[in-house]
Amino acid sequence: MPERVDRDGTPAYRFLGVELTRREAAFLVLGVVFLFVIPDIAGLSDSLQLGVIHQGLLFGFAAVGLNLLLRHTKLTSFGHAAFFGTGAYATAVLARYAGVQSVGLLLLGAIAAATVMAAIIGVLSLRHTGLYFALLTLAFGQLLYAIALGQSALGGSDGLPVRPGPANQPLLFGASFSPDVYQVLTYYLTVVVILIGLFVMYRITQSPFRNALDAIGQERTRARFIGLPVRRYVWAAFVISGIYGGVAGGLYAVVRQYVRPEGTLFFLRSGDILFMAILGGFRTLVGPLIGGVVLVFLQDVGQDVTQYYEFLTGTILLILVYGFPRGIVGSLRSGGIVNTRLGELRREPSVLSTWGRTAVQSIERKVTEALTSLRIILFGVD
Amino acid sequence: MAVTPTAALVQTLNGIQFGFILFMIASGLTVILGILDVLNLAHGELFSIGAYTAIGVFGFIIGIVGPPGGGVAGTAVFLFAVLAAVLVTAAILLPVGTLFEAVFLRQIYDRDQVYQLVLTFALLLILLDVKKFIWGDSSIRTDAVYSAINTIPTSELVGLNYPTYNVFVILVGSAVVAGLFWFFERTKTGRIIRATAIDREMATAIGVSTDRVFTLVFALGAFLAGFAGAMAVPPTSATLEMGTNPLVLSFVVIVIGGLGSLRGAFVGALLVGVIRSWMITLYPPGEIAAPFAIMALILLVKPEGLFGTWGETA
Repeated sequence: MPERVDRDGTPAYRFLGVELTRREAAFLVLGVVFLFVIPDIAGLSDSLQLGVIHQGLLFGFAAVGLNLLLRHTKLTSFGHAAFFGTGAYATAVLARYAGVQSVGLLLLGAIAAATVMAAIIGVLSLRHTGLYFALLTLAFGQLLYAIALGQSALGGSDGLPVRPGPANQPLLFGASFSPDVYQVLTYYLTVVVILIGLFVMYRITQSPFRNALDAIGQERTRARFIGLPVRRYVWAAFVISGIYGGVAGGLYAVVRQYVRPEGTLFFLRSGDILFMAILGGFRTLVGPLIGGVVLVFLQDVGQDVTQYYEFLTGTILLILVYGFPRGIVGSLRSGGIVNTRLGELRREPSVLSTWGRTAVQSIERKVTEALTSLRIILFGVD
Repeated sequence: MAVTPTAALVQTLNGIQFGFILFMIASGLTVILGILDVLNLAHGELFSIGAYTAIGVFGFIIGIVGPPGGGVAGTAVFLFAVLAAVLVTAAILLPVGTLFEAVFLRQIYDRDQVYQLVLTFALLLILLDVKKFIWGDSSIRTDAVYSAINTIPTSELVGLNYPTYNVFVILVGSAVVAGLFWFFERTKTGRIIRATAIDREMATAIGVSTDRVFTLVFALGAFLAGFAGAMAVPPTSATLEMGTNPLVLSFVVIVIGGLGSLRGAFVGALLVGVIRSWMITLYPPGEIAAPFAIMALILLVKPEGLFGTWGETA
């Protein structure tokens, strides 16, 4: 039962070490309830498909793992699809070649494989920071993609069915279900896994370990001087974030029952996962998850509307980078620029034209600047 | 597997040819990385836009020059037409690079690096669909036009049967390498760029406009990417996905050569090119993985790469 404690004068609830203000607790309950009723809502309308939201949650979960690195150690991993794909392929290989049927065992296999993979890639790439780290993780991710593409045992570009035939799903609770029921049950499994994952991540981000990571992210040398085993801590964080990716990938394989290199290991997927964290707000805990759902939903809608949906994603990214660098959750919580602007708009709708003019003017200025630079590059200073 | 000396030579030459293309891509990326501290993920798309553009420009020039004539002289004229097309293509990409830097990148240098990655990733996605919009989904085949170049086999000249165009790429590639080293070692602009790379504040203090250097460097990177794309397209066909693989391979090259070293990029590119092409004959499934294996090995033995950082030694 929640016990009442006082923190800075605001009443807060404490439960299993999770401390929330009343508002946060309300959001949490609302969110959990919403997660649990989604299959019912999805049944009511055609446009809202359970599969899309489910996939968004899974990628978002991988982004939650990535966020541990991004938020605290300031390391940008551009190869997180590697762990997602490792989890997915480990599941598929176990189910297909080792004959493992139970979902629990398959997920354990995914976790084990992702842990090993993250440990290896971590040792090789964590010597570097900044862009070189991004570059290395991307290269290793692409190596795994190349391996999956090249190995006929892994199905090459066709991919690998988890278990042949629609009737041969992995077993949940030791039993087999009809495809519809299976879909809903695996969804609930995902929700439970996500809740546990978020809880664990919350505890990590409340621990001294997080402080150590923050210190490392701010200034490595100083962190080493105060006695932190920098390399080992960052490596541990990397492995943890890899495990999140592996779990998400394993669940993805269990749900989709088919694993392709394009959808799980390709570097655009890594970009998506990074983008989800930024979109949702990488300074928050649940931001990446929400970013995942929103992005996958947008891509799904975009794919129906136009063949140029990458353009759509790219444009949203641009708007995000310039307009809302804190992401959805971050902007909502801080109530920063978005709320101020919305308030202005509500009071004085004509402000819209002023904004438009400012935007056009600033773009004009930039283009002039660029053309001047170009002239100087081509013809020198006159 | 028995490999005859001739086959070995041909494979090595193929590798060197690919290595030069790779160097042109990686050098642009390296220079941008070394000076702006930005990993330009859209670089591969600039490369492939160069390839698409070159096909159009080349077709236009051929329309003026006429179809390739026979004999060595005819081929020479034809190769000059190709070279002209390549240069025009690269010149078209120059303003694109300038615009990218001045309009998009300049705003966010002071932010977290992750935003620069996301921005260039956004540009990558946008360019991907711009290509799809302009040139359509299907790949454009070019071998019919360019096979005309190879009607003069080099065997007549040096006694080895090898496509003329590949020799041409190696020659032009060498010229680009020499030109780049000359530019950064001997010219004033090159020295200014290097000075900016070594110490940005000091360069500003002695009167260098870093804004302008940044724009120049990004434009140079786009120029090199377009040049590489235009050179690479003839033997293959232009496809929508053609930007990805060279981009990732040039990451590998940069890591092997030493982070941001131009000389390292050259050595790394040739190494990757030759080993990749050898793997095609010796062990085909290893073709894609081999460069990454070298990269991992070098990271283990010498984490800073084969050569030092950029600036002090170009």
